Amino acid sequence: MIINLRVWLKIPDAEAATVKNTLLRRMGYQGIIRDVRRERLLSIESDDVSDPDSLIKQLTRELVNENKENFAVSVGSLELSNGCVPVKVSLWIEDGEAISIKDRLVKRLGLKMIRSVQRANIWKLYIDGDDPESVARRIAEELLVNPNKDRYEIIKLG
Amino acid sequence: MRIAVIQFPGTNCEHETLVAVKECGMDGEIFRWNRPEQELCEFDGYVIPGGFSYQDRVRAGVIASKEPVMATLREEAANGKPIIGICNGFQILVESGILPFGDGVRLALAQNVMIRGGEIVRRGYYCAWTMLRHDAEERRCSGSYILRRGEILSIPIAHAEGNLVSSDKKVIERLIEDDQIVFRYCSERGDIISEFPVNVNGSTENIAGICNPEGNVLGMMPHPERAFFAWQLPWKHPRVRGYGPGRIVFESMRRYIEERRL
Repeated sequence: MIINLRVWLKIPDAEAATVKNTLLRRMGYQGIIRDVRRERLLSIESDDVSDPDSLIKQLTRELVNENKENFAVSVGSLELSNGCVPVKVSLWIEDGEAISIKDRLVKRLGLKMIRSVQRANIWKLYIDGDDPESVARRIAEELLVNPNKDRYEIIKLG
Repeated sequence: MRIAVIQFPGTNCEHETLVAVKECGMDGEIFRWNRPEQELCEFDGYVIPGGFSYQDRVRAGVIASKEPVMATLREEAANGKPIIGICNGFQILVESGILPFGDGVRLALAQNVMIRGGEIVRRGYYCAWTMLRHDAEERRCSGSYILRRGEILSIPIAHAEGNLVSSDKKVIERLIEDDQIVFRYCSERGDIISEFPVNVNGSTENIAGICNPEGNVLGMMPHPERAFFAWQLPWKHPRVRGYGPGRIVFESMRRYIEERRL
């Protein structure tokens, strides 16, 4: 099974604010971009276990700092709310941090059922106008992604 | 001869870089990113120093690359003026597309990956003295103008993202063919060994610094301003006429500007 753990800041997200400011002040997106938010996504592949809730609790305890972060978990498909264009950005070159997280879970915490960990950022772009998806693609290619190491996809909302 | 040392929010090497500029007989000042960008045209050369511009948000160098001063620097680079980007300055030059060819983002400086014996032994931030081999012809590049091919310098690095990669193999081939690779990480004897600790960050072809096709723009991950004075060096490292080897980078810039004026 795939456990999707989405994590976002309770405190102001300076990185999302910087992206919004850069788009508005430096890249000509005034009147187009209403807001930018950011989430961290960890997609954790695990063997089936008898008590998935207990595994999910253990994972969130290890991977989320609830003093400053909120989180949401879904098993299987990724669930996101409507109203924005979500752009998922991940590395296509080897992701050392994802490997470190997996090693930590398996080797240090003994969660032998974990098979893989993938990491991404989800940029939630709140866009005004006719063709928000093509605007989101342009923003991804102009700012959010360096194609020499990153890839992106627009997540289709249900 | 006036040099602008560009300061973005989060730059943290501007003062020692300015000291290095002035020690080499050039006049200079720290130029804040939010000054009117047309004032940049009054300078004869530029240094983008190291640090963490905009806290490396999104990825190192990309937010600074969108600032109006970078558009002006692109024009000044096309006018042949020298620009040296050090560490975060190199990342900004790559993200702005001024390096390597001036035609878009053709490279990335990815997270360090240290490989030994075919295995990853370490990742991320690393701070160490490195040996650099000058791999370009003498007078090829503004920041190594007075260095001969094959000369070895000891200059420190301090970064988490200096692993130069490209999605297009031809970019690296072109850098090699056009003699745009200025510095490579090497052993004390000058051998290019692709494994850690010689290749400190996993960079393709051990690349530590590159120039643009015209040679006036240099980007390098190591910090020459931290190997400028003899007292900055470890006791057994060789001095160059009583100074550290990093001085050669700034001396080169001065010589490049002097000869360009003639």
